[in-house]
Amino acid sequence: MRRWPRSWLAGAALAGALPTALAADPGHEGADAASFRFDPPEVGSYELPAIDRVSDHVLLASDGQPEPLLDLRPGEAALVSFVYLSCSEECPLSTATLHQLDRTLARDGELARRVKLVTVSFDPTRDTPARMADLAKGLAPKGRWQFLTAESSAALAPVLADFGQDALWIPGEAERPGRLRHVLKVFLVDAQRDVRNVYSTGLLDERLVMNDLRTVLGAPR
Amino acid sequence: MIRSILFAFAALVAVPALADETCQSPYLARLEGQEDYVYVWTLGVEGWGDGSDKLVTIGANPARENYGKVVDSVSVGGRHEAHHGGFTDDRRQLWLGGLDTSMIFIFDVATDPGHPKLVKKIEDFPKATGGVVGPHGFYALPGRMLISALSNATDHGGKTALVEYSNEGKFIRTIWMPDDAPYGYDARVNAGLNRMLTSSFTGHKNYMRKLPELMGDAAAMKNFGDTVVVWDFHARKPLQTLKVPVAPLEIRWAWAPSHEYAFIEAALTGELWGVFRKSDGTFEAVKVADIGPRDAQPLLAVDISISANDKYLFVDTFMDGKVRVFDITNPRKPTVIYERVIGKQVNMVSQTWDGKRVYFTSSLLANWDGTGHEDEQFLRAFGWDGKQLTAKFEVDFRKAKLGRPHHMQFGQEGFWASRATPDQFGVAQR
Repeated sequence: MRRWPRSWLAGAALAGALPTALAADPGHEGADAASFRFDPPEVGSYELPAIDRVSDHVLLASDGQPEPLLDLRPGEAALVSFVYLSCSEECPLSTATLHQLDRTLARDGELARRVKLVTVSFDPTRDTPARMADLAKGLAPKGRWQFLTAESSAALAPVLADFGQDALWIPGEAERPGRLRHVLKVFLVDAQRDVRNVYSTGLLDERLVMNDLRTVLGAPR
Repeated sequence: MIRSILFAFAALVAVPALADETCQSPYLARLEGQEDYVYVWTLGVEGWGDGSDKLVTIGANPARENYGKVVDSVSVGGRHEAHHGGFTDDRRQLWLGGLDTSMIFIFDVATDPGHPKLVKKIEDFPKATGGVVGPHGFYALPGRMLISALSNATDHGGKTALVEYSNEGKFIRTIWMPDDAPYGYDARVNAGLNRMLTSSFTGHKNYMRKLPELMGDAAAMKNFGDTVVVWDFHARKPLQTLKVPVAPLEIRWAWAPSHEYAFIEAALTGELWGVFRKSDGTFEAVKVADIGPRDAQPLLAVDISISANDKYLFVDTFMDGKVRVFDITNPRKPTVIYERVIGKQVNMVSQTWDGKRVYFTSSLLANWDGTGHEDEQFLRAFGWDGKQLTAKFEVDFRKAKLGRPHHMQFGQEGFWASRATPDQFGVAQR
């Protein structure tokens, strides 16, 4: 049975990086029950052909400096996740899974050096570099995990289009803040910038992603 | 509003399973609530209008003036044996296939849901895929489409493949069906189990023949599949081949995570089969019910639709134009609780996520539909209260000179319509 890292949820909320309500959102209790009742196929026993090729893009790091989204060297791969900090729907699942991956990767130093996790905000207006820094602090990454935002929504739009990541801004109402409608997607990108897999809610299994990373990266270098 | 686009799988685990929408990919953004439109992929008929295949949009919201009316009709030019279609995972595009020409038509249904726009055609499917013919099922996977085909370019027989394209329409790969189960039809994934089931039909040289002629050709009738393949979905590797009666067509996995089974109708023998996961993780195929009386003439069980609460299974039989509703609470012993003649012939059935509305269309294949008086062509809408169907509206596709209506999908105004202000980004454009 797969479990949510509740300590992360609470920790992130306490760090002010996420609304406190997130930790208590009953919708996430449901996600808590999500289980993948299978053993992932063995590393290297299957193929992950390129789905698409993306470009690199310069965004803003959590220190406010320009930062390439990918900047991968040969033999490396990245997992790119688009979220926004006030999201109370799918984003926490994505971030929680990356958090699990960060911890798992940390136990394999060689692999950890070759994999980069990237969390990109959909919501540059509210998710400033400072807020992304707070998120990073709350999550306390053990490996390479970047938290990026953009100068503006206009600056981010070409990135979303390139990745095929849809997003629609739903303006706030009287007592409800604005939010984004989006399909949760995490992208596995190799050093050639080929997208080798796309994970959504029904596929975002940390064990599966780890095996995919090992399959894509092949033997230790 | 955002609840209405929760992922199918997320909602599956977040709420107790509720209720063609109920037969979609678990990776598809799901439409809940009242649908505004039914999109109908329609075969062109010579002398009916422009005679071309077309995507017909029907108003389906009783609160709107266009309820029960044809809102739009977009001709794709030519007749391609329009058959099935499916949305991309984000529900922005509707992909529609032609079984005869192997052409694929991609519509944007997000920008203006009431007026889908043809934005792309894939015209080199056989060449790009290494000889696959007859794109049949269109199944959303994250970032890509899984297409289950029916035939091949070498002999137009039943050996065929699964094909993947990116959402942008770029060919990714072809996975040929295994040698001991070469036929194809449907492909459906159980995400929690990492298992995919595929079913089997027949090749181009059979499905493009006139039905009475085909049924009288004993040799040709041997060229139908009788297998269901269990796959490791992630690895796309076949694990098991299950023997079933001839022409197992539509596959419907139950929704509840603990319900580790799927239903399949054996079209030519009129039987309902279940595929059950066993305690050792392998699967078994078991006959669970007869569909209607075992007459000499096959009823042709053509489409099935499972309710989201795993309680009802709607089963259409083409030859008698009936729908039978099975109570599938006990999946190993389904029982008929209701039946009704929908028309002189009936093929597809689609129900809404809440199970309250059910739609039927009449056409099977251009050369398999009835002739003369028997060749009714319609979309008929009903309400379902758990006990009976109540007629709501119908569109006479013959009278409207539209063609032969086949596969249905649901659309909703505002699903992706942007209400963004200028300083907020709207929909990403590819």
